[in-house]
Amino acid sequence: MKAEISFILNGSEVNVTIDGHLRLIDILRNTMSLTGTKEGCGEGECGACTVIVDGRAVNSCLYPAHEIEGKSVTTIEGLRMPEHKLSEIQQAFVDNGAIQCGFCTPGMIMSAKALLDSNPNPSDEEIRDALQGNLCRCTGYVQIVEAVKSVAGQIMGKK
Amino acid sequence: MRRFDYLRPKSLKEALQLKKTIAGAKYISGGTDLIVQIKNRELQPTTLISLRSIPELARIEINGGARIGALATISDLIQHIELGHNYPVLIAAAKRLGSLQIRNVATTGGNLCNCSPSADMALPLLVLEAKVRLQSAKASREIPLSEFFKGPGKSCLSSDEIMTDILLEPPSQKTKATFLKKGRVKMDLAIASLALLVEIEGGRCRKARIAAGSVASMPLRLFDVEALLEGSTISKDSVSKAQQLARDTVSPITDLRATEEYRRHVVGVYMKRGLEKVFG
Ligand SMILES: Cc1cc2nc3c(=O)[nH]c(=O)nc-3n(C[C@H](O)[C@H](O)[C@H](O)COP(=O)(O)OP(=O)(O)OC[C@H]3O[C@@H](n4cnc5c(N)ncnc54)[C@H](O)[C@@H]3O)c2cc1C
Ligand code: FES
Ligand code: FES
Repeated sequence: MKAEISFILNGSEVNVTIDGHLRLIDILRNTMSLTGTKEGCGEGECGACTVIVDGRAVNSCLYPAHEIEGKSVTTIEGLRMPEHKLSEIQQAFVDNGAIQCGFCTPGMIMSAKALLDSNPNPSDEEIRDALQGNLCRCTGYVQIVEAVKSVAGQIMGKK
Repeated sequence: MRRFDYLRPKSLKEALQLKKTIAGAKYISGGTDLIVQIKNRELQPTTLISLRSIPELARIEINGGARIGALATISDLIQHIELGHNYPVLIAAAKRLGSLQIRNVATTGGNLCNCSPSADMALPLLVLEAKVRLQSAKASREIPLSEFFKGPGKSCLSSDEIMTDILLEPPSQKTKATFLKKGRVKMDLAIASLALLVEIEGGRCRKARIAAGSVASMPLRLFDVEALLEGSTISKDSVSKAQQLARDTVSPITDLRATEEYRRHVVGVYMKRGLEKVFG
């Protein structure tokens, strides 16, 4: 049984016709061709599929696509800046050596963004807690936490 | 993933009606247990009936006690300031459940209805002597949570019922409670866990409520240890007796997370640590 749903994707309204068993990650990658969101485990353990739904970080591999009806979804592509520039948080990951193979990075950055949007000046513990659901096999996490801290600092500096 | 239909009823009545008419349908709340089970082919429902579009099911109300809608997410509980103030042990457990991404969608009712022996929310709710409200098309009933669990994946919820609310008595100023959990890493399912609530008067334990997770076929109230502690003065000797009895009362298994012996050991240590913590 197919159904049409509409939702906001990275700021623009979209309408898609979908099957009942599809997950949000299927719509993003296969229907919308937004392949920045990665599927690692497909069962909530790794966080590679993290996107933001109505301000909250969620695993798109466990999110039934039907549930995004009327909601707002932000993916890594939604952070794109004019003229192919990187957003502040993306640049901070580059500058801090927080990316090696890069597979975890989009999910990691979406978790970091959800945190910074709701808490612009998080403590180390709050950063680690918000990133607990994002696994990285390469970096050892230290540089990732540094990258998030550097953006938190910058936001603070701007105030 | 095997194909299934997905329905989003807007009222409880409609959800109950749909379930009656569709063979092989399952209710879904956050889906953090269910979607994984479907992926692993433990379940093959024809239809998922989502409870997420029924607004009254997600409400949290403080009314002397508390009424927590079954669809309130773990993050909803953590963000509810009054709930945390009145029932800190509930929030201590909520903060240890899964990752932030999981807590943002996982629901309190889903955690109970999945009936895992490791269900983190079950423990504080057991020691707070919560009741759950179960609704069918015909009737509604309220039962103590301690009578809800019947075994791994089994409860007294019948297939035509929805858990609508979790009900808590007003908090008592006289009690102290704590939650302890051992996981392989912070966000993992418990290897063993324990919640403890006591009322102390003049060094004597007047009331004790104890529940343990991942050490039996369901989240377990340790009634024998409660009886041992109640009325006794708290001393090195009574703590050590409680520790021994807790170890003997549980019936854990060995699986990929831990051995039976280790789980028994952790429960004993947590019994002691929990008592030391609440008796300060
Ligand atoms: C990576 C990961 C980590 C996890 N970590 C933890 C952890 O640390 N601790 C822990 O306890 N759990 C953990 N879990 C398990 C899971 O997230 C929780 O049990 C969660 O609370 C389940 O809620 P849900 O809303 O997602 O349930 P669902 O998956 O939607 O439902 C679970 C079951 O309950 C039934 N059901 C749901 N709601 C109702 C209702 N209102 N009435 C009747 N039946 C209902 C469904 O039909 C289904 O059978 C983890 C899961 C994952 C994927
Ligand atoms: S792919 Fe979703 S958590 Fe791993
Ligand atoms: S950079 Fe390789 S998994 Fe994180």
